[in-house]
Amino acid sequence: MGRVIGKPTPLIDAVQKVTGKAMYTDDFKFPNMVYVGLHRSPHAHAKIMSIDTSVAAAHPGIKAVITGKDIPIAFGVLPISPDETAMAVDKVRYVGEIVAAVAGETPEAARAGADLIRVSYKPIKNFITPDESLVECSEDEKIHQHTKNSKNIHKIADLSFNDPKDGIASSSFTRSVDFKFAGVTHAFTEPHSTIAVWNGDESLLVITATQVPHYLHRTLSKVLDIPLHKIQVKKPALGGGFGGKSDPFPHEMIASKLAILTNRPVKCTLTREEVFLTNHGRHPTEMTMSVGCDVAGKITALDTDIVIDGGAYGSFGVVTSYYNGVLLQGPYKIDRFGFITRRVYTNKPQSGAMRGHGAVNPRYAVEVVLDMLAHDVGMDPCDFRQQNFLSENTKTVGELRITSNGIRECLETVRRKSGWDDRYGKLPNGHGLGVACGFFISGSALPIIWNRYPQTVVHAKLDFDGRIVMFSGASDIGQGSDTMLVQIAAEELGISMSRVQVEVADTKLTPVDLGSYSSRVTFMVGNAAKQAVDKIRHQIAASVGNEKSVPREAIQFADERVFTDDGKLNLTWDEAVDIAMAGRGAFVESGFYISPKLGGKFKGSGAGLSPAYSFGAFIAEVKVDPMTGQVSVIKVWSAHDCGKALNPLSVEGQIEGSIHMGLGQVVSEDMRYHNGRLLNANFWDYRIPMTLDTPEMDVTIIESNDGEGPYGAKEAGEGPIHPVLPAIGNAIYDAVGIRMTELPITPDKVLTELRKGGQQ
Amino acid sequence: MSTSSYFLPGTIDEAVSLAKAHPNDHVFYAGGTDIQLHVKQRLIKPNTIIDLTAIESLKSVSIQKKNMKLGTMVTLDQIVKNPDIQKFYPILAEAAKSIATPVIRKSATLGGNLKVSNRCSFYNQSFDWRQSVGSCLKDTGDICQVTGGLNHCYSRNVSDLVPALIALNARIMVQTSTGINEMPLIDLYVPDGLIVHTPLGVGGIITEIFTSDEPSKWWFKKLRLRKSLDFTSLTVAATVNKKDVLRVCVNGVSMAPVLVETGINDVTLEGLILQVKRACKTVDNDYMPLKYRREMISAFITDCWNTFH
Repeated sequence: MGRVIGKPTPLIDAVQKVTGKAMYTDDFKFPNMVYVGLHRSPHAHAKIMSIDTSVAAAHPGIKAVITGKDIPIAFGVLPISPDETAMAVDKVRYVGEIVAAVAGETPEAARAGADLIRVSYKPIKNFITPDESLVECSEDEKIHQHTKNSKNIHKIADLSFNDPKDGIASSSFTRSVDFKFAGVTHAFTEPHSTIAVWNGDESLLVITATQVPHYLHRTLSKVLDIPLHKIQVKKPALGGGFGGKSDPFPHEMIASKLAILTNRPVKCTLTREEVFLTNHGRHPTEMTMSVGCDVAGKITALDTDIVIDGGAYGSFGVVTSYYNGVLLQGPYKIDRFGFITRRVYTNKPQSGAMRGHGAVNPRYAVEVVLDMLAHDVGMDPCDFRQQNFLSENTKTVGELRITSNGIRECLETVRRKSGWDDRYGKLPNGHGLGVACGFFISGSALPIIWNRYPQTVVHAKLDFDGRIVMFSGASDIGQGSDTMLVQIAAEELGISMSRVQVEVADTKLTPVDLGSYSSRVTFMVGNAAKQAVDKIRHQIAASVGNEKSVPREAIQFADERVFTDDGKLNLTWDEAVDIAMAGRGAFVESGFYISPKLGGKFKGSGAGLSPAYSFGAFIAEVKVDPMTGQVSVIKVWSAHDCGKALNPLSVEGQIEGSIHMGLGQVVSEDMRYHNGRLLNANFWDYRIPMTLDTPEMDVTIIESNDGEGPYGAKEAGEGPIHPVLPAIGNAIYDAVGIRMTELPITPDKVLTELRKGGQQ
Repeated sequence: MSTSSYFLPGTIDEAVSLAKAHPNDHVFYAGGTDIQLHVKQRLIKPNTIIDLTAIESLKSVSIQKKNMKLGTMVTLDQIVKNPDIQKFYPILAEAAKSIATPVIRKSATLGGNLKVSNRCSFYNQSFDWRQSVGSCLKDTGDICQVTGGLNHCYSRNVSDLVPALIALNARIMVQTSTGINEMPLIDLYVPDGLIVHTPLGVGGIITEIFTSDEPSKWWFKKLRLRKSLDFTSLTVAATVNKKDVLRVCVNGVSMAPVLVETGINDVTLEGLILQVKRACKTVDNDYMPLKYRREMISAFITDCWNTFH
């Protein structure tokens, strides 16, 4: 094993992408295509009194105008919270919500047409902050009618094991700290884009920038009332997702509806401002994190009270609510554990899933509090963490099953490489080191929509020309899942990667995969792909064995040859394929993955279940300018346990990307609002770190070789973001003695804390 | 850009004539890095674009001993990389290097930076955004969204080259259809976002920037969240010349650059800070908080003062 797997491998679409040849959704053109213009609400919360579309409809080049009443069926990525419609029906819930749409002969005509729609509103009381949404209001002021007790609380998620409050009260050392996190958004490169085509046989083709073709397929069927078998969703090359393309979106339904009405292909590409307004980014969060430990530094209890700001609609919010709590059960052993999360609706663009879903903000909070406790006890923060780690092959208090676990090696690695023991606490004022750890699911063990199907199926086809085609519904969103499929086929069959091709993310051609979210693809699709290709290998071995009278078990596949070690059989790949084709021609084999049954029997036990978990430890080095309060992150050492790096080049890229993305949230990114209006809906004012802001990165991959992952692999795309933020926060403490509890850590906040004197 | 006419004059005279022929609806295009943002957000809708990029006479760089003359179409990249500017006027190279990014600096020009539009977090927004708040004085509205006032626009002058050049006591040549005028650079700016560049006159082109005030000491610092791209939240440029004249110019915190010029021994630090703060009309229209920016004015000037003494 290991000719292809485990070797640094450039992604198969990399050259296409960097040379501009890759076809993204917006690159596709169809004859007679029309364009969508969207009319959006200027109010945060208002009743729609009337909509006049007559002037817009009469405008030159406008082919159709639709409003919310034309697509009134509600949807939501989670079947338990279908609270959204393609366009506002009766009322608007945030500035920028789509109220009406036009199809125009040109993008300019569509824009002009959308501007000519006249809407009369009656404003309703705005709920902009979570505090406003947590108090009672009149029933007709509520953002959604389904919320209870005259409040705008969407979901309360809570779990408690072994009376954590008492555990904290009886601990030798306790810390209870309030934290506040601004909302951040994915800021992917490619804006949302969709093309819808209504075919002559009354079937719908939707080409779209999505992480979840399957969920979109189902949602389009429901919302447009078209049978599932009449809908084809295709994901072409995609320019980044990070969770921001993991819901079915209004513009996808609007384009489809307009394609049906106009009987012409319809394109809808959002502007950057519209992408920001679509959001679905990380929830703005406020929490109180309470942790206790004994005099030896053993964690005794954790309890946390969390409010997350969901914005106007549900999205993944119910899952987010649970993840905020349950993903605090590792990487430390905590026997007395509890949380409560309240997700509130507010009149802002909705929050949703974003890299590290639900666990990033509480991870910052807990790692900062653990740092404080380590100092209280008088222990080195690395030593403190080391003695509290979960072991491998264990269960957390909430019955998350931990299998492989490389956290100890992760921490030992960054500790050694950063020179921690010689430098921590000893650097000059303004210069510091900080440590933090994390863990994350490697695929959600439960599907969003309950069913008895596998979570993924992969087909592998062997054809007469010796090529293998891998058919998978998995969405490569830049993470490299297409390359992984090719690597696995090449590895198992001993052929070069150039013989393997992929057909992916097309609901007509490829078997169902649930989508690129929850870091599930390598683990689940990888296992299914391996199984499918193994079957092909067995088929070839059987045919060749029969024909050449050699035991099939002795047949080897390597270096484009099919052979036995004793030299009696020595075929080229093409010769072996020729034998396998005899009497049947090309054939397809299927592999699938179903997660093992996991978890406890209590309500909420399904949240956070995963067949495996990744682990990581990071150390950051910062400098703080005492005059301006500006924080410069100098270097980050990272060690991430991804089980087995199928493609180390890709894993390194994921870790580096996570460091950069985490850096943005911790020092500069912030969705700012003025009376519910997003102030920085552009890349000038939404401040993603630039090259000069990005630290040197030292990346170590730790391989714990998971027993159930393909070749031992676990996830690497989301887990590495968690430790970045608190490592930086804790380094600021080492540098200047202040605990930063509000993100982003902008210079003004640092200066304010410095004035208070620090040394908490 | 939807415009009805685009011109690419080869001479300054031709450009000035074109501007005179289209007095109310033209913009000069000197690199486009600022104008394109404004067009995209539908802040301006120019009918006539007069592109200055083909006028070779505006691209000269001349540094002889302590005399520096720069054409307005010199790019920021050229300023950053020019060895003579680095040697004799390092404050200018430093200021240029602080602007935008290396790629943008290859298009952005000196003249464009001198005339960069004033910015405000309530004005530099999309059309829909501005409509949703009811617009503002600088746009089509009748009230300042920051102060609630009805008369003055407090948008910020965000040029980083301007404070450096004013600290260098720079002067400019301006050509209009009626002739050529020379003026101190500082006189180009009026402290009101609605009329900030009016001394240039309708259709006037800055043709040249020059100075002979080689400083014996200089200091430059720009406040921003990221280490590149961001417009300034506060820029302070200061020089001391051989006659011990201190020139401190502050920008990014008021509608126009603020200059304090004094003998270095004729003022205290506290007095200097007071003079600057009195002259700045700083309001809450930037992404950095108002209180912090005000604090940083004092911090920067203190740091500058300590460096000079």
